[in-house]
Amino acid sequence: MTFDPRPMDLLPALDYWLRTVGGIALIVLLTSLMSVGVSHRGAAIKLFGGESVGCLKDLISLSPRRVWAVAKLTFMEAYRRKALAVFVIFALLFMFAGWFMGGETGEITPDHVTVYVSFVLRTISWLTLPLVLVLSSFGIPEDIRLRSIHTVVTKPARRLEIVLGRVLGFSLVGTLVLGVMSVVGWLWIVRQIPSELLVCRVPVYGSLEFRDRSGNPAAAGVNTGDIWEFRSYIEGATKARAIWTFSNISERSLDSEGNLHLENEFLAFRSYKGDMKRSLLYDYQLINKKTGQSYTLPARPVNENRSAKDVVPRKLVDDAQKKEYDLIKDFVTDGKLTVEVSCIDREQYLGMARPDLFIRMPDLGFESGYFKAVLGIEILMVLVVLLAVTGSTFLKGPIAALLTAVILILGGKDCHEFMDQLVLGRTSATEGFRGGGFFESVYRIVTHMNPTTELPQNPAFTIMKYTDGFLTDFLWLDKQVIPRLEFFNMAEYVSKGFDVPFDSSLLPSLMILLGYFIPCVLLGYFALRIRELESK
Amino acid sequence: MNNLTSQQRKLAYLCGILVLLVPIIMLGLPSDGKSAGGTLAQLRSKYELGESDLGDVDPSSAAMNLVLLGMRGVAVNLLYNEFEKQKNTKQWFEMQATTESIVRLQPHFEKVWDMNGHNLAYNTSAEWDAVPDRYHWVKEGGKFLMRGVRRNRKSTHLQYFVANVYQKKIGTADESKFYRAYFLHDPEPKFKGGVDPDFNPDELDNYLVAKREYQKATTIEDTEHRPQHILDRSLFRSMPARCQFDYAMALHKDGKFGEEAREAWADALNDWTKKFGHETLTVPVGPLGTDVKFNIRLEMTRDDVRREVASPDDVARVAKAVEDYRKMVNYYYWTTRGLCESEKKTSEAHRNLYEANQFYSKQELEKAEEAALAGITGFDGILKQPEFSDLKSEDTLVEECLLAIKVWKHIHELADKPVPPDYPLKWLEAEHQGNLQYASNVQRAFKRLFLDER
Amino acid sequence: MSQSGATKESVIEIRNLSKVYRDFWGRPKVKALNALSLDVRRGEVFGLLGPNGSGKTTTLKLLLGLLFPTEGEIKILGKSAADVEKNEKIGYLPEESYLYRFLNAYETLDFYGRLFDMPASVRKERSEKLLDLVKLAPQARRRQLKEYSKGMTRRIGVAQALINDPDLVMLDEPTSGLDPLGNRDMKDLILDLKKQGKTVLMCSHLLADVQDVCDRIAILYGGELKVMGRVDELLKAQDETQILSSKLSPAAIEEVQAVLKKHGANVLKVDQPTANLEDLFLKTVQESRERPGHRTVKDGTAS
Repeated sequence: MTFDPRPMDLLPALDYWLRTVGGIALIVLLTSLMSVGVSHRGAAIKLFGGESVGCLKDLISLSPRRVWAVAKLTFMEAYRRKALAVFVIFALLFMFAGWFMGGETGEITPDHVTVYVSFVLRTISWLTLPLVLVLSSFGIPEDIRLRSIHTVVTKPARRLEIVLGRVLGFSLVGTLVLGVMSVVGWLWIVRQIPSELLVCRVPVYGSLEFRDRSGNPAAAGVNTGDIWEFRSYIEGATKARAIWTFSNISERSLDSEGNLHLENEFLAFRSYKGDMKRSLLYDYQLINKKTGQSYTLPARPVNENRSAKDVVPRKLVDDAQKKEYDLIKDFVTDGKLTVEVSCIDREQYLGMARPDLFIRMPDLGFESGYFKAVLGIEILMVLVVLLAVTGSTFLKGPIAALLTAVILILGGKDCHEFMDQLVLGRTSATEGFRGGGFFESVYRIVTHMNPTTELPQNPAFTIMKYTDGFLTDFLWLDKQVIPRLEFFNMAEYVSKGFDVPFDSSLLPSLMILLGYFIPCVLLGYFALRIRELESK
Repeated sequence: MNNLTSQQRKLAYLCGILVLLVPIIMLGLPSDGKSAGGTLAQLRSKYELGESDLGDVDPSSAAMNLVLLGMRGVAVNLLYNEFEKQKNTKQWFEMQATTESIVRLQPHFEKVWDMNGHNLAYNTSAEWDAVPDRYHWVKEGGKFLMRGVRRNRKSTHLQYFVANVYQKKIGTADESKFYRAYFLHDPEPKFKGGVDPDFNPDELDNYLVAKREYQKATTIEDTEHRPQHILDRSLFRSMPARCQFDYAMALHKDGKFGEEAREAWADALNDWTKKFGHETLTVPVGPLGTDVKFNIRLEMTRDDVRREVASPDDVARVAKAVEDYRKMVNYYYWTTRGLCESEKKTSEAHRNLYEANQFYSKQELEKAEEAALAGITGFDGILKQPEFSDLKSEDTLVEECLLAIKVWKHIHELADKPVPPDYPLKWLEAEHQGNLQYASNVQRAFKRLFLDER
Repeated sequence: MSQSGATKESVIEIRNLSKVYRDFWGRPKVKALNALSLDVRRGEVFGLLGPNGSGKTTTLKLLLGLLFPTEGEIKILGKSAADVEKNEKIGYLPEESYLYRFLNAYETLDFYGRLFDMPASVRKERSEKLLDLVKLAPQARRRQLKEYSKGMTRRIGVAQALINDPDLVMLDEPTSGLDPLGNRDMKDLILDLKKQGKTVLMCSHLLADVQDVCDRIAILYGGELKVMGRVDELLKAQDETQILSSKLSPAAIEEVQAVLKKHGANVLKVDQPTANLEDLFLKTVQESRERPGHRTVKDGTAS
């Protein structure tokens, strides 16, 4: 497991969005007021007021028919200019190339499936997104350059309708291309890979707590020296535990035979080689938090780097005490089930992260996960269209394309991590770069001062710190403009055989798209409105 | 203009194109390793300028490089970043796929094959817990390097690394007992208990395969005139013979002491003295600062030197050089060891010591005592022979003997019998009494007698 | 020349309109228009004349909201130039018919019709009517605009300008690049629009065409208004009188000349009036259609 899906919190996200959009809108408003004031002096307020009223009127009198007219025009433009045909051919070629680039043609194992599926999804997005980016970036600038937009704006078509129509039109083009390629890709996968290897697991995750070797609560387990701190380890034959709590558990969580399916991907770490002939052992202990009752399931071997499936029957028999328990009635309280995992072997360690143990609900079809991932690409594509069309309202085609491409690159996970570090600055000792903000850094570089040395306490430096803080906040605001694109990449779920979770993947993507929709469309509208369309 | 119509002119051009295609194909047809190709391809192979002279040609590799339009460096950089990320997040198969892309882009960079092969065989295998899984990745590393050799037939280094995997990784890892067993009985179900034909097609012991691979490396060095820069040449040339020694030692570890083992030792001695000993090594013999070189053989005697060297001053220098190189490769030690171990009585002595440990583990104390005594008696006689006196300080042998003595004494303790005042190899025990290293190793080995594995 | 049905109500009011083109840094580059003030009244055909670069097209674009004025005020149909709602009642034919070349004639009119929020049935009906009006050949209507000749492009341009049955039609160089037949059709169309009570504003530098159709004209030069007024009044030669009669004998001519001399007038010219070349051309084309093979040569012999 390399992902840890966390459900999106809608309220804080909304608050975040309001703050960002509000901040940017305020800056734009003040800037435009100032510039109008400078150029028109006395008449500035009247002009500004007139424009605002005009904008409101435009917004109110939006016509779906006009928007659809522009959208249809856009679609036909792409279609008649044969933009689509070129890429369909490319897609087919690529698919054929993929057959040759596949490598050895041995038998397909579950691990090959990961590579194949992620290859297909990656190819699809790499073919669709650049096409859509280029088309969208050049749409409006070409219209302006060829002056065909004159015949549109001299009709009662609002600039807003033009922007919306273009966005809709390019989205339709992209959807068509994506649709065709995703079906082709799906057929390719289904032909290459035996159906029993194409799974779509539906996991139910819980929350994870740790106990250290003395049984006291701990923030995390032991670090055994891994660079990747995703997992931490519990020590065997001690009181160290990893405790999962699953919510909303009921009879519906069991399969038709009344069994609960647990699946894990624990890792093993040996502090000495020990008995190399067998794997390390772990066991599950079911705990009833209210009554204190517990039941320990038989020990099982670790199946490293592959999913280990453990079946917990509903009827649990304790031979030693000659008692029988019911999994749901005796161990599920208020819908919560607590499972404690411990490592059996002394001086050996068991590694886990929160998503490493989950309850496996009945599988969905592979198509379900695959097409949800395609939906993720679709949402990203619409975002690309949005950004490109907005950029094209105030930039020439190639520059708009470049701007959109750069935003997409900066939206990747690595860039965001880097930007987070820059923006956090010195506020957090463990994250962020040491050495302060802009002015402080300049000072430190010029004076060769060590980043860990404190600055002298005097008013000048206090002012410097405040200025830096202000600049960093401004940087923070700028950073928010760049979307977090990691949510759109759902290929990892599908390639590893999981269903795409709604609340931690599809919902954030939709929310991001929505969050960008309003500001981008408004920005595009204003940019076109204040622009003289006579191209010089 | 002429009187031909447009249609006729087009036809004429088409015919012209078709006619010209014939010499173009004859000249330019590429060679794909199997067919010789056109004139240019043949000239390329004659002067060793073509890619097919380096090894197998992979068309997708050329295609990928072409598509990148010269940005291969950038692409490889990005791929290595991906590779690191995948390695750190334990995505092994994705990492392997990225490795594939990297070698497609840089098929003739030795370091790329070396580093990635090492990563698969050593780093990745260590990250898995189950030994069959680890073995799988060792094999992947080995097969990967073999592919590297096929793409770069003139690379002595890559061939050496292939041999290394067979000799060192399989032979001396902590899991070597398992690996050597898996080498002949692969744990993957599809091989049904047999060998992996891509890894051990001839169903040999891993050391014998290693020996063969080292021989291939020395052949490449000779035929392609490609000296390697990993080891001193003398050490490099000694590897095949050393593998034969390893094989013989492994047979003893596995408890085989019969003719098979004795012959293995005899072959090792033969390889060492008759083959390696007679290899020509060009070594510097002049005073420091000069570049005077001479061809020596490790089996050269003083007379041989006198006969072959012109001036009397040089005789001393050359003789010294021969001595130095013999010391470097431990020539005397291995010769002595070979001579000793190829004798039947040595074999017997080893067997007795081995059986003593076995009986002791199973608590068959009488048999253990008998075997131990027989063993140390045997070695007492062998080590007292002047020609094998060097072996008195051979670590493995000494520890083996000391362990036998310890077992033998312990049996006496258990039976409440006094240890006789004089016993074979008592002098050896006394000689190494102060050696803490031997003491701790022997103690550990003694404890492990009760465990199933070494 | 033509009867003016113009009323006093102004459809376009321009007051002190100036336009200065600035460079990237805001420095003034060209003053394209300088304090222009004029009115266009309802129901008239108004011509905006001037040489190239005089500011005619700039004025038109300012009226349509494609450019923003540096100074001055514009009112069109009682609304400001920036108000999109005014476009409901306006039709515009651009100088070069900047249309979407990948659409065919039906699709073009359908698209523009949608922009007026017209329902499908209305759009269809109007498209057919307009394509017949502009005389676009039926076989050409389903071909993409990129395959059209210049004349056909102008026709479809006019059609899209009239799709919404506008009250005000603005034409930029309507007759430029057209052959005499097309030219005649365009002028007939303009007069027809006037008959329907529509107001037409046209920019042109082809003087003969303007003279034929316009009621009032304004002449611009260097961005400034130089002359404005009714065509017939402006062109009247104030100090001469022209009398047209049926053919006179030389004796009658002499007698007339004597009478004029008695009243103190100078006889400037006595001649047979000539028809204009356009009429000759049209007549020739018409006769060629009716009688193929007929030819009139200069010396008057028919064959």
